[in-house]
Amino acid sequence: MKKLLLFIIGGITFSVASRAQFSEFQNNIGTSPFTLSSDNNTFQIGGRVSFYYQNRFLKSNEDNLKHNGFDVKDADLNFLGKTANKFTYEFHLSVIDLATAAATGNTANPANPGIKAAYLQYTGFPVYIKFGYDKLPFSQGSLSEVYGTPMWSHANLYGGDLFARRDIGLTLQSRLWKNRINLYGGIYSGMGENFFEYGNDASGRFEYVARAEFCYPGKMKYHVIDEENSPVLQFRVAANARYEDKTQPNAGNVLTSYPDMPGAYGIRMLNGKRGVYGGDAVVKYRGISATFETDIVRMQPASINDPLYNTSSTTLNGKYVNAGGYCAGLNYNWEALHSVFSVMYEDFNANDLAVNSSSSHMSGEQAWLYLGYAYKVNGFNSVFKAEYYRPAIESASLNPLKYYGQIRIGYQVVF
Amino acid sequence: MLLSSWQKVKPHSQLKFEHSRSLKHIPEPSGIAYDSTTDHLFIVSDHGILFECDNQGNILRRAEKEGMDFEGVEIKDSFVYVSDESPRKVYQYRKSDLSLVKEYSVSWGGAINKAFESITYNHIKNCFLLVSQSPVVIVEYDTNFHETKRFRFRSARDISDAKWYNGSLYLLSALDETIFKCDPTSYEIKESFKINILNPEGLAFDREGNLIITSDDMQKIYFFKNLPHN
Repeated sequence: MKKLLLFIIGGITFSVASRAQFSEFQNNIGTSPFTLSSDNNTFQIGGRVSFYYQNRFLKSNEDNLKHNGFDVKDADLNFLGKTANKFTYEFHLSVIDLATAAATGNTANPANPGIKAAYLQYTGFPVYIKFGYDKLPFSQGSLSEVYGTPMWSHANLYGGDLFARRDIGLTLQSRLWKNRINLYGGIYSGMGENFFEYGNDASGRFEYVARAEFCYPGKMKYHVIDEENSPVLQFRVAANARYEDKTQPNAGNVLTSYPDMPGAYGIRMLNGKRGVYGGDAVVKYRGISATFETDIVRMQPASINDPLYNTSSTTLNGKYVNAGGYCAGLNYNWEALHSVFSVMYEDFNANDLAVNSSSSHMSGEQAWLYLGYAYKVNGFNSVFKAEYYRPAIESASLNPLKYYGQIRIGYQVVF
Repeated sequence: MLLSSWQKVKPHSQLKFEHSRSLKHIPEPSGIAYDSTTDHLFIVSDHGILFECDNQGNILRRAEKEGMDFEGVEIKDSFVYVSDESPRKVYQYRKSDLSLVKEYSVSWGGAINKAFESITYNHIKNCFLLVSQSPVVIVEYDTNFHETKRFRFRSARDISDAKWYNGSLYLLSALDETIFKCDPTSYEIKESFKINILNPEGLAFDREGNLIITSDDMQKIYFFKNLPHN
């Protein structure tokens, strides 16, 4: 039933939907999809296949080797079309996520339902109008495609546990001053990737998202790696914010009504108000790129007995729970060697009221170090990637780990 | 036909532009062509618009007929030819009044926005050349845009414009920040020139052989002196 629902929703959305500002298949270097064209339409079929071997270095006394072995990272299909009357539509499907959702009843990875984009956009006005399901205009790390980096997955800060990366809704976009200023605004269901599972929630209220970017000296795409080997220093700084009030009617319970929605730390949705604000920046020059992002989640659960408060007193918590942190990265694209080297560090706290059971002090903080290498046979279109990451600070209360490091080595083909 | 791979030609020292100007009323400028009879520039925009400008890039007029994603422009005889990348079309405009004369469909199966970024005319072989951005393929067409021959060009990661000048084909690579001077029949590289422009998308030569380049990301036009020669 789940599989059927996913396909029906995807089909309906595609039939009415899909300029593709976040498209992984429109602006990227080296991709080689197939394109059909008629008098008034151009239709591109592309995709991505990748797999890796992963090995976790387990702590002593741990013997579960479930995460030591092969895994399919991507088996994606993408359909991107443009019409002569200035409509763009896109449908991006993760076959592996659909299969996983169908086989497990959407329990294995509910935040990855298998549909990554299904929208229609009109680009005939100075303000582009997009309706449908796609990435939200929030967080540089989320908007940048991870497949164009040596890493295999996004950092935890913006990977989807603190806030949803995709949702269905209406997005407006406008560019000013020779495209140096880029503005987004939109309203969305607030249900994120779980919209396909639950539809809209009982509160009947939307999530509001806005983002403002400034690029200099010219416009920039959402590419982390400086594959252009920028001959002049270019940078982008951005600020973004989002807000939702999901206070449920009749004291409804989010955890029972939408159990997959709150996510790993229970903060992607709550019965109450929630705002996220942050900023990010990227600098590129001669193959070197540096990134920085910070995001702060400020939550106000409707009930003072909400588990997010961790039984703290209102004197201590002030009726707010906070989460967030920062992530910084440094990359070097050595084109002569077809190689990219990356290092990334993040430090975040998923709940500032988390209490360590052993020391009884607040200890939701965790930090991670990532090292990545990519050998580009044909850009990131055909590439060998190796990634190693390890916790620098572990949160025993929010994310107790059974390992002290993990390596992933694999190959990726984008067509 | 496959061009000899990874041809190694030592580039000249990096070219420095003499001056630049903002193209603030031409959104996302791409290809550029120089008309020696009027001393005018024809510049196309990613927004599907053909502009006729003076020799400093000031807009004089624009074509009424718009396309989707104009990327390449060339002048031959009394016509202006424009490559519309996404829908795989070539538009023939009358130079005198910028009215549309004819549309041609051309074929390219690759990515929607990696198709024909360039159009020029080979005056030795008497054929049009359309060059795909990535992978780079030089495709020869007769005057009715029927394809006659293909050449794979493996010496650059991409090509964003192509122009015929003084008996040679010049190719501009944005990613490699290089201009390649190529043999007019085999398209093998004879010389190469490094440039220092962010995202260069258009290449032209004026009647004195001075180089003119447009940048999409910077929305600017850059003026150089003549290319140095060995």
